[in-house]
Amino acid sequence: MHAIEVNGLEKRFGEILALDHVSFTVETGEVFGYLGPNGAGKTTTIRILTGITAPTGGSATIFGWDIVRDTTQARRKMGIVYETSNVYDDITAWQNMMFAGELYHVGRIDREERGKELLEIFGLWDRRASRVKGFSKGMKRRLTLAMGLIHDPTLLFLDEPTSGLDVQSNLIIREVLQSLTERGVTVFLTTHNIEEANQTCDRVAIINRGKIAAIDSPERLKKTIQSVQSVEVAFEGGGARALSELAGLPMVSEARKVGDKVRFYTEDPGGLLREIVSYADSHQDRVVSATTLGPTLEDVFIRLTGVQRPKSREEEQ
Amino acid sequence: MNAGFDRKQLAAEAVAAWAIAKKNMIIYYLKPNIIIAGLLFPLFMFLAFAAGKNVPLGALIPGLISVTILFSSSSIEPVSIPIERRTKTFERLLSAPVSLHAIVVGESLSGFLYSLGIALVPLTVGIVAFGDTISSPIMLMGGMLLSALCFSTMGTLFAAYPTESPGDIMSMLNLVRLPLIFVSGTFIPLDAMPPIGTAIAYFSPLTYGNDLIQSAYGHPASFNPLADVAMLVIFFVIFQLIANRLYAHFND
Repeated sequence: MHAIEVNGLEKRFGEILALDHVSFTVETGEVFGYLGPNGAGKTTTIRILTGITAPTGGSATIFGWDIVRDTTQARRKMGIVYETSNVYDDITAWQNMMFAGELYHVGRIDREERGKELLEIFGLWDRRASRVKGFSKGMKRRLTLAMGLIHDPTLLFLDEPTSGLDVQSNLIIREVLQSLTERGVTVFLTTHNIEEANQTCDRVAIINRGKIAAIDSPERLKKTIQSVQSVEVAFEGGGARALSELAGLPMVSEARKVGDKVRFYTEDPGGLLREIVSYADSHQDRVVSATTLGPTLEDVFIRLTGVQRPKSREEEQ
Repeated sequence: MNAGFDRKQLAAEAVAAWAIAKKNMIIYYLKPNIIIAGLLFPLFMFLAFAAGKNVPLGALIPGLISVTILFSSSSIEPVSIPIERRTKTFERLLSAPVSLHAIVVGESLSGFLYSLGIALVPLTVGIVAFGDTISSPIMLMGGMLLSALCFSTMGTLFAAYPTESPGDIMSMLNLVRLPLIFVSGTFIPLDAMPPIGTAIAYFSPLTYGNDLIQSAYGHPASFNPLADVAMLVIFFVIFQLIANRLYAHFND
C-alpha cells in the first residue's frame, strides 16, 4: 500500500486552476520532496492531502484512506508541521504538547511520557514550564515539530522545516528527521532549500503552475539535464572583469558571480577551460582554482520551472 | 468530510472539544477585550436602562442576567478564532483528526462556561444586594444554560467569517447583539413594545432565554416555558449547523 496516492487531483478557485490533474505516489518510508516556485500549488496540495480543503476533482488516499471520505482516519496517521510555527504563545511548552496530544487522542500516560521524551530530544525540556512567548524562532520551530510528533505519526508533512533557523535548531531537526526516516516514517517535505531536498529526499517532485513537471530521484533528475554543466573559477584579480569578458563567449550560456568565484554555464567545459587559461595569460591574471561541475538539482528546478536564478550579493550590488 | 461516527470516535471528539475549550479558558478568559465585552458592557447597558427609571433595580436583574449571558457567551470565539487564524494555530485544529462539529462545540464550550461564571455576578448581586427571590431555580438554570449554549454557538458562527481581526467580527456581532437587547423584552417588556417590535421579538433567541429567566424570578411570562426551551434548542441547532457549513465553506 502506498503511503500517499494522488490521482488526477484538481483544484479550482473560481476561474483559477490551482492544481491541474496532479498524480503521484509516495511509498511507505520514503522521503518525498515537493518543490515548486511560489504559487505553483504546493500549499494547495498539502491542504488537500491534510483534509483542510476539498479537491474539485480527482482523489487522494493516505495509507488507503480516502482524504475526503475518511478524513479523520487518514489524519490519525499524519503529523503536520506547517511553515509557520503555529504554537500557542500564551501557554507553556508543556501545555502546548499536552494540547496537541489531546487533539490527536493520545491517552494521558502516553501523552506525558511522549511529551517528555520529545521535549528532551528537541532540547526544550528545561524550558517546559516557560511560556512560549519568550522562545526564540528556532525553539518555536522545534516545539512545532515536537507537537507534530506527539501521536507518533507514520506520515509526516513538513513545510519548510528548517527555513531561516539557527544552526543548533537546524542540526537538531535534521537529526530527528534522520532518525524518523530510519524508523520507517514517511516524510512529505516541501522546501525552498533545494540543497536540503537533494541531500534528504529519496525522490523529488517538481510542481509548476499546478502541474507536475518531473518526479524522480535527485540524481536521475540531474542526469536529464546533463548538458547544463558549469566551470567555477577563482581568479587572483577577483574575476569581475573576467566575468564580463568571458560571458560573451558563444559557448557560455550563463555566467554569474558565486562568492569569490565566477561560474560559467556551458555544454563544453573542456573548451571553456582552454579559453579561460588563454584569457588569464593575455590579461596578466592568474587562475587560482578551476572546478568543473555537473548540473545541480537547482539547475533542474530552474530548467523545469523557468524561475529566475537568485542573484548573488555581488550581482545585486 | 468525515465518515460515520462510532462510540470510540465520539469519545475522542468529546475529549478534543474539551481540550479546545480548556485551551481557550487558559489563554483568553482574562484578555482585557473579553472582560470588557463580557462583563463591563452589559453592566453599562444595565445602568443606562436603570438610570432615571421608577423601577426597583432588583426587578431589572433578570434582564441583566440575560444580556450578560448574551454578551459574555458570544465574546470568546470572536476574539480567539481570528487571533488563531493570524497565528495559524487555527489550522492546527482544522487538520486534527476531529470533525468540524467538535471544533465548533469546543470553541463554543469556552464561551458557554465563561458566560455562566460571569452571569453568577448579577445573580448574586441581585440576591444579596436587592433581596431578589427565585421562584423556580430549575427554570433559572435551564434559561441560563440554554441561553449560554445558544449565544456561544452564535459567537462561533460569526467567528467563521474569514478574518484575522477580532474587531471585524465584533463589529458584525454587535450589529446583531445590540438590537436584540431592545427587541427581546430584557429591559422593556414585550407587551410595552409596538407591534413591529413584538413581531421581531419572535425571531430573537434572547426573547426566549430572557422569558425563562424572568419566569424563574416570578415575573410575568410571555410564552410557555416549554415553548421557550424548544425555541432555544431550535436556535442552537440552527446556529450549530450554519456554523459547520460556514467553516467548511470558508476553509476552502
